[in-house]
Amino acid sequence: MENKLSDGQISRRSFLGWLIAGLGALIAAVLGGSGLGYFISPVFKRKEEGWVDVGPVKDFKSGVPAKIEFAARRRDAWVTTEHRASAWILTSNNRDFIAFDPRCTHLGCPYRWDDAKKQFLCPCHTAAFAIDGQVVSGPPPRPLDRYTTKVVGGRLFVQPLQAKA
Amino acid sequence: MTALRAWINERLGWDKIWQAIFERRIPEAKGPVAWLYTLGSALLFVFLVQIITGALLGMNYVPSPDHAHDSIRYIENEVLLGKFIRGLHHWGATLMVILVFLHMLRVYFMAAYKYPREATWLFGVGRFLVVMGLGFTGYLLPWDQKAYWATVVGVNIAGQAPVVGPYVAKVLMGGDAMGAATLTRFYALHVLVLPLTAALLIGVHLFLVIWHGISEVPRRVGKGERVL
Ligand code: FES
Repeated sequence: MENKLSDGQISRRSFLGWLIAGLGALIAAVLGGSGLGYFISPVFKRKEEGWVDVGPVKDFKSGVPAKIEFAARRRDAWVTTEHRASAWILTSNNRDFIAFDPRCTHLGCPYRWDDAKKQFLCPCHTAAFAIDGQVVSGPPPRPLDRYTTKVVGGRLFVQPLQAKA
Repeated sequence: MTALRAWINERLGWDKIWQAIFERRIPEAKGPVAWLYTLGSALLFVFLVQIITGALLGMNYVPSPDHAHDSIRYIENEVLLGKFIRGLHHWGATLMVILVFLHMLRVYFMAAYKYPREATWLFGVGRFLVVMGLGFTGYLLPWDQKAYWATVVGVNIAGQAPVVGPYVAKVLMGGDAMGAATLTRFYALHVLVLPLTAALLIGVHLFLVIWHGISEVPRRVGKGERVL
């Protein structure tokens, strides 16, 4: 095939060469792009919300912290596990709720509500927390941790946190 | 740019490689027949796509009876572009089987397997078997009803062979019945043994293709002429 052409003209050969390069680049972009997207998809993944329905709001007595136990589902990619979890629920009007993580902020022991002292007491290193979760005495570095709560259709939902390292 | 090129050339001899692969002499083929010469490179391309998509799928797949199906559902529904990547792998497998058949038919009917290309043909036949093996082992991995029973049928077919049949079936299943060991066994074959074998065979096959050059399009024999 003759390849000598006057200026500005494109030979059949170089046209096809560019066509192949162009199509190749297109295919590489589509394949490479979607492959890359798949590979880095964890970056775009939204956090699981993990709300747990813990029952109708009217079951909670206002002013008295109540310990509730529930099953929390955790979804880890394709594995769904269920584990037992609990929380201390506090309300003063059955509309606004506070849910405390049942683990002491010192080293994670479970604490209990002492009705006589009106305090949360941790048996491990004798910590005491006020009813609002503030540290009254003992070694804990911060007030009790709270789970987010919401009330939907007369039922209370909490969102347990995963254990922090 | 030229400095970089020279640097690479001195170390890799890239220009020579490029010449050997892309600027080798190939027989002239015109018209629709020329398209038949594209089947081999199409296969190579699909193989590369299968390697890449397969590696990606492997990042989210678990070859265990209690999670295999869930992990595939996860890929389909939750991984970004997961459906697309899995679709590519799925259709790539089908395309590969079709292409490998067409490629072999072309080589057979053009008598391109003859001297001195017998070895090229044999490695190609090996490659054909590996493609079939990849198709068979990959089919089981989704671990749904269709996959499960299709594999039961496949294993039973192997089991029909005289004398050795039952042993072959046992080896395929990794035990007496289809189960967890079958799945892990097929998975290992599908992602380790067969792809490595395929890559090896392709390497030799391609080397031989370049070594011998491609055969000419057979000519119609004129009156009174005879072919060898
Ligand atoms: S763990 Fe509660 S006080 Fe130490």
